[in-house]
Amino acid sequence: MRKLKRVFGLISLVAIVVSSMTGCGNKGKTTSGDSSSAETIKIAVAGPMTGDNAEYGIGFTNAAKMMADEWNKKGGVLGKQIKIVQYDDKNSSEEAATIAQKIVSEGDIAGVIGHFSSGVCLTAAPIYQENKLVEISPSASHPDYSLVGDYIFRNNTVISAEAAASIDIAVNDLGKKKIGIISIKTDWGTNTSKIIKELVEKLGIDGVSIVAHEEVVEGSDDYSPAITKLNQAGADVVICAGMYNLVAPVAKQYKQINPDIKVVGFSNSYSQQLIELGGLAIEGVCFPVIFFSESKDEKIKNYVSAFEKEFGNKPSALTSQAYDSVGMLLSAIEKAGSTDKEAVRNALAEVDYEGVTGQTKFDENGNVNKQFVKVTIQGGKFVKMN
Amino acid sequence: MIGQQIFNGLTLGMCYALLAVGYSLVFGILRLVNFSHGSIYAFGAHTALLLVSMNLGIVPAVLLSLVFTGLLGVLIDKTALEPLRKKNSIPIASLITTIGISNIIQNLLTVFFGSEKKAFPALFNFGVISIGNIQITWTQICICIVSLGLMLLLVLVVKKTKIGLAMRGCEQNPKAANLMGVNVNFVISFTFFLGGVSAAIAGALISGYYQIVYPNMGYMAGLKAFAAAVLGGIGSIPGALVGGLLVGVSESMAATFLGSTYRDCMAFVILIIVLIVRPNGLFGKKGITKV
Repeated sequence: MRKLKRVFGLISLVAIVVSSMTGCGNKGKTTSGDSSSAETIKIAVAGPMTGDNAEYGIGFTNAAKMMADEWNKKGGVLGKQIKIVQYDDKNSSEEAATIAQKIVSEGDIAGVIGHFSSGVCLTAAPIYQENKLVEISPSASHPDYSLVGDYIFRNNTVISAEAAASIDIAVNDLGKKKIGIISIKTDWGTNTSKIIKELVEKLGIDGVSIVAHEEVVEGSDDYSPAITKLNQAGADVVICAGMYNLVAPVAKQYKQINPDIKVVGFSNSYSQQLIELGGLAIEGVCFPVIFFSESKDEKIKNYVSAFEKEFGNKPSALTSQAYDSVGMLLSAIEKAGSTDKEAVRNALAEVDYEGVTGQTKFDENGNVNKQFVKVTIQGGKFVKMN
Repeated sequence: MIGQQIFNGLTLGMCYALLAVGYSLVFGILRLVNFSHGSIYAFGAHTALLLVSMNLGIVPAVLLSLVFTGLLGVLIDKTALEPLRKKNSIPIASLITTIGISNIIQNLLTVFFGSEKKAFPALFNFGVISIGNIQITWTQICICIVSLGLMLLLVLVVKKTKIGLAMRGCEQNPKAANLMGVNVNFVISFTFFLGGVSAAIAGALISGYYQIVYPNMGYMAGLKAFAAAVLGGIGSIPGALVGGLLVGVSESMAATFLGSTYRDCMAFVILIIVLIVRPNGLFGKKGITKV
């Protein structure tokens, strides 16, 4: 009994310490916010700043800061300076719900850029919708996301469009017929693989079929059991529904067994890390993207070199989509002439924005349509496919 | 296909076995499950990566990382666990401390190395051998050989050397061992050193196999290795080997017949069954009452 009491004592002590610490954190944040809210317009960037997918959240923040700087140099928006406020949701739905509550309760945030993965966005979006705060996700591609409400936008294509582009690469560009799918077991991954299957069935090209589908748990580094099964089923092209941290190891482990296998990915694997992680094995991996940093376009060239100078690496597709998202939000605020939530939403729905990820206009659901560029890896570099 | 899957499982199992040995060594002496072992393993892999990137050459880099990781084990013992032992605190306090240490190491790795997955140079990359329709890479064979060699070495250290005698003495009764002139704290630190070294070897081998390193890599692997250690009888080195292999093979069988999504739960299903049916594990000694 005494032991039990001591354990309880310990637990309650820990609880008190933790709660008092978080209390302090909150206080610090609000006081610093109050001092500057009068003359600045605040935009929240929410995403994983620590943990497994931190590079995406940090990319979002960097892009947002860069866009805000550009506007601030021109005198800001509505005569006020723009301030980017960073929120860390660790790419977890539980954290995101708390963060979203926090953002809406701040009261002076003009709009939210984020969150990162579709599942997390789907948890946070209803909170923004309920409080009528505009959210633009640079990355969510789950069909259900923008259906949450009229304040919810995305600057990314819906996954069905991208899946069609990936299948197009596998079937038409690579000329393969036996498709294997490896997908991560998340809401997004499961849904994407379902969409791929439906699309292939609908296409109905003679001889093209899905020979096997394996779901894997994200972060299990050993994919050999799944690969063995795909190989046994005779797949000659594998569509990987996952990020670079799935595509690189799958390509590596698959090529040890079958050096002729072709791997097709999605735009979220477009990251310098894919090349660093994949080495020689990811040569020839293809995927569709809506932003390509090696593009010859003058505007994109300037943006890429400015970004590289500032942060030391080339912007990924999702980072650039975040960059444009901030631009769209700011133009909407400018057009609305105030940070009134409803006015901003209405202006944003009308915005026709010429950005680095192409001409962007939201449809009635808050989705965008974009042109895909087919990219492959040759000699350790991303190049455009012919 | 089943032959291939069994071999995939055996390689994976060897990796788990290497990690499970670390749990067993520490548990054998302190009756303490060292939950920071998974993070120590991640630390070993990161140190090896850092040293490799300093152009030391892969073999010296890995050897140096073994020493550093071993020292980390000693450091953990000296700073966090020894003070608790001196105060005779309840065993659960040490257990929770190891969980805390695990978080500290993991987050420090994230701060210094970043959270993204990093590439690790391939070890023993000599190509593929085909036996019938089974394809075996040299990496897999080398992992098995190195793991077996290491376990043999550890068994020899424990059974044949003087320090091993002291370790076994401490295992049976620390107080009596102390009265016989054994420096118990030194023996415990040495055990932590060995645990750290085995974790670093596992880290280097596994990272060389999958060619991926990241701060959270030790979390799942650590828990599965713990299940393997319990299955084999925690505290026993041959038990860790057999437990690791069984967990690895059953995982890859689960992936074959039930789907890849079920593989992660296999280790824990085994853990639960073992705890119900044979709590001492396959090779465990009877009469362990302390937890």
